[in-house]
Amino acid sequence: MKEGFAIGIGLIALGVVLQLAVGPVAWSAFAWPVNGVVMLAFVAIIALIYALRKRVYAMLFLGTNYAAIPAMALAVVLTIVMGLTIQSAEGTWFNNMLSFWPFVLIYMLIALILGQVIIGRALHFKWKRDIPFMLNHLGLFLAMTTATLGNADVQRLRMITTEGLPEWRAVADNGMVKTMPMSIELKKFMMETYDDGSPKRFASAIKIVEKSGREMEATIDVNKPIVVDGWKIYQYGYDTSMGAESKISILELVSDPWLPLVYAGIFMMLGGAVCMFIFGKKRK
Amino acid sequence: MITWEQFIYFAVAAVLLWVVGAWGAWKGRAKMAYATTGTGLLVFFSFIVLMWISLERPPLRTMGETRLWYSFFLPLAGIIVYTRWKYKWILTFSTILALVFICVNLLKPEMHSKALMPALQSPWFAPHVIVYMFCYAVLGAATVMAIYLLFFKKKAVTAEELEITDNLVYVGLAFMTVGMLFGALWAKEAWGHYWNWDPKETWAAITWFAYLIYIHYRRLPNSNQRLALWCLIVAFVLLQMCWWGINYLPSAQATSVHTYNS
Repeated sequence: MKEGFAIGIGLIALGVVLQLAVGPVAWSAFAWPVNGVVMLAFVAIIALIYALRKRVYAMLFLGTNYAAIPAMALAVVLTIVMGLTIQSAEGTWFNNMLSFWPFVLIYMLIALILGQVIIGRALHFKWKRDIPFMLNHLGLFLAMTTATLGNADVQRLRMITTEGLPEWRAVADNGMVKTMPMSIELKKFMMETYDDGSPKRFASAIKIVEKSGREMEATIDVNKPIVVDGWKIYQYGYDTSMGAESKISILELVSDPWLPLVYAGIFMMLGGAVCMFIFGKKRK
Repeated sequence: MITWEQFIYFAVAAVLLWVVGAWGAWKGRAKMAYATTGTGLLVFFSFIVLMWISLERPPLRTMGETRLWYSFFLPLAGIIVYTRWKYKWILTFSTILALVFICVNLLKPEMHSKALMPALQSPWFAPHVIVYMFCYAVLGAATVMAIYLLFFKKKAVTAEELEITDNLVYVGLAFMTVGMLFGALWAKEAWGHYWNWDPKETWAAITWFAYLIYIHYRRLPNSNQRLALWCLIVAFVLLQMCWWGINYLPSAQATSVHTYNS
């Protein structure tokens, strides 16, 4: 275990040096195709470390619980710091943990260790013994790595639709305006309230015209987005000063090309959890 | 229409039945333990269902409402453990713990309105919270076991006792994983992304890793029993942060989509 903590604390120290030298992790630089290349390189490094495990003791060590437990313990410590501090994209160091090198490196270490044990099992695969293991570990590996690397490709835009006016433009968080491959026109904003005036339901009846000329009408509720041309469209907000009389509706348009991979990981983990419940702890 | 005013009658009836069940378990009368604990659960659950109907929404929004589920799941987890491992003290513990949460609800009844903001009106809402509450109850039982083995048991801890603890953690972690991932799938539908590092999610990740540490540590051939049991207690403290502690955290006050009380 001491070696495991030494590796983790070494990585944290390296992270601090990197933070000082190059600043926070610039996630926006990972947009496609960089993230695809990084993913392949990461898998290649995992395979290389596995291949060298019999020559270099440290690499053999990475495939054991003695490496995994300290890595998880340090991840817990850093994530607690994150949970106790106010996080924002403008924050630095502890106030922007997601771009804080030590945090990122520790989670990379966890992914690296996961990679080692996954290859180890895959090469000596026994169906009954290893299915739950693979669902849990490969699922987590897949969800973690693709969610992190795919994040740079996620586009979240807001579109202010107005009754009777087709709108093509949407705005990103950073203020950048983007022209969408479809226009959206608000037909009617709908709202119901509880007796105390708080909103019970708000939704937008909209008409969508795609570039190809294909038209469709739909109603978007909170919790009930629709998918058009790879974009998920959400009910986001409305003119709160007007309430039910609002003539505008704010929609959110989200595109996340890596989502199928993340979901594959999530559903594997769900399967793994079911196995964990049914089989419990295997006796040796 | 049922209201919180009537809660005390259901609660007293259920607790009395659970107390008889716990006594039956001590005396080795298993059938009686099953029958009374089961009836108590039925009484308590009928209150939850009636509240559900009268509120016209699942009673899962406020802390008071989740405590209601927790006091229901504790004896349920207790009776499951009792069925599987015949531990005669487990029902006493689960009854006492359920009683504590019932008392909190009686002393601090939070007003429960019908209002349910649109984001919470989702088919994911009930499974997400119910699965988590069951997980908390089972992990609560594991923690009680750890405290018992660490501080109260005079003789050496047996392998069988540790196995029970392990199994409770496996079941609890399985439910926690499902609850967390249901939350992720729901978040994608409601808020546009499956994981936003919302303070509640951050603490959920912390708790999840803490229990993973226990599971992996217990698989070491030379693991220290006391350290493993301490790990469970620390993990449960972290779970409290995730469950209600974040409501008092400045870092979570304004930013979390999971704080609905105010």
